[in-house]
Amino acid sequence: MKKAGIIFKKEIKEVIRNKNIWLPILIITAIFSIAIPLFIILGSSSLLSDEDTINFINKMFGQVDDPIRVLIGFALKQLLIFLLIIPAMVPSLIAPSSIIMEKENNTLEPLLATPIKTSELLLGKSLTAWVPAFIISTINFIILTVVVDIAAFIKLGYAPLPNIEWVIVAFLLSPILSFILTMASIIVSSRSTDIRAAQGIGAVIIFPIYLIIGLQLAGLFLLNITYLLIGCVILLAVCPLVLKLAVKIFDRENILTRWKMKA
Amino acid sequence: MLMITVENLTKKFGNITAVENISFNINESEIFGFLGPNGAGKTTTIRMLSTLIPPTSGKITIDNRDNRSNGEYIRSITGLLTESPGMYEKISGYDNLEYYSSFYNIPDSTRKNNIEKYLKMFDLWDRKDDLAGTYSKGMKQKLALSRALIHEPKILLLDEPTAGLDPESAHMVRIFIEGLKKEKTTVFLCTHNLEEASNLSDRVCIIKKKIIRIATLSELQNDDKNKRAEIIFTDDADRYVKLLEEPFGVKTIHTEKNRAAVVIEKPETSNPLIIKKLIDSGAGIIYFNEVKATLEEIYLDLIKDEKTK
Repeated sequence: MKKAGIIFKKEIKEVIRNKNIWLPILIITAIFSIAIPLFIILGSSSLLSDEDTINFINKMFGQVDDPIRVLIGFALKQLLIFLLIIPAMVPSLIAPSSIIMEKENNTLEPLLATPIKTSELLLGKSLTAWVPAFIISTINFIILTVVVDIAAFIKLGYAPLPNIEWVIVAFLLSPILSFILTMASIIVSSRSTDIRAAQGIGAVIIFPIYLIIGLQLAGLFLLNITYLLIGCVILLAVCPLVLKLAVKIFDRENILTRWKMKA
Repeated sequence: MLMITVENLTKKFGNITAVENISFNINESEIFGFLGPNGAGKTTTIRMLSTLIPPTSGKITIDNRDNRSNGEYIRSITGLLTESPGMYEKISGYDNLEYYSSFYNIPDSTRKNNIEKYLKMFDLWDRKDDLAGTYSKGMKQKLALSRALIHEPKILLLDEPTAGLDPESAHMVRIFIEGLKKEKTTVFLCTHNLEEASNLSDRVCIIKKKIIRIATLSELQNDDKNKRAEIIFTDDADRYVKLLEEPFGVKTIHTEKNRAAVVIEKPETSNPLIIKKLIDSGAGIIYFNEVKATLEEIYLDLIKDEKTK
């Protein structure tokens, strides 16, 4: 564990210094945690003046007494799913390059020649992606909650967040999802022989998250506590499998001999 | 005391055999030169010794422990200088050493002392806070060597230790490697620099997938089929060619002005006879010397023989 900590300590400094990681995260946070909720909540009155929106609400929820409250409740369900974007995105920005960069710089062989275990190396590498994902997701959750509550309080006179669904997503589903995507990205990084290929595949790995967002936005289903808990249980069961797979796939021989060193 | 024992070691990558059935022993504090052409299996062997890759068959015992089941221990007592001195370019030379050394179970104070010791020894102390990416190739090589030594390993596996170094630094590294014997460090030295191998190694192993020969330099020289003698006469050497051609086991004669270089089959019996014959015939001999083949000459002969097999 101590050796995993050594790797984490060194790599997290590099992550903090890397603007290419922080810039997209800041943009996504600004859009999904500040701009969109403000637009939906503060603009709810004008949205309700649109006939199509009224028809949509009537179709979805029947006749309602307080359409603004219903609209905001619905919008919160949609925003909830955006909470999954950051925990999915951060590992895909950090983890795919973790092993491949070591190969490219010829630093992996001397690192593997130290008394480090494969599991310690992978744990250190995955913490480097998972910890920022968890911290940023939590910050994102706090920002989104504060923004939504202030806006909702101004508009409706009450603060709807946090609720149980949001807490499950922020502190249960997101960390589990981050872990799985981190390990998947590390597997890709272990097997790749090219950094761009690793990053490309890393971007594809988070496609299922976009699919869920798309399906919810299309109105095919709405996340609720039952779905979220079922999702957590399934993903939790996948965690040890993906960890085992990562350790198995991280084959020192393959990694060292398939990789062509820089001249 | 045996430090490394390799028994019938074979390594295959798919259908390609990189190393075939090699066996050797290395004693404690021995410098073992491992020589061979490109693709001979030197780096593969070093990787198997350092537990980075497993053998296809055969057995490696290091410090009395099987290397398949004691990877962590073996890596803790070995220092590896890889073929390419990969360094984290965006952190300083000092931080590179601190990072790698922290994986070994050594006290912090020893670690810091060793970092300072090796950085000073290899003239890198003044640049210790500079990013490793700004180092020259030679500086990176010295930093990589410091990395291999930082935990004071019992066994040092060196793949081309002086590659990329200027003559002064290379000389310093050679003196350092020689000095490791006193500290009981066992050195496995892969090099293309045959003069270096000749000067440093207690024994050399010449490999081309299979082992061609393991011996000390003097054993190799004694077994050399083409032993030579150099003779300097007071007058023109051509005058004595016929005398030298008499059946003393002389294989070839090359003359230039008053010098003659003869290749003799059995110098220990032929040389006294040649000298006597020359003196009896009134030749003025300024100098007569048995010239021993260099490791380079022997190596090239052995590799050539292997090719013709």
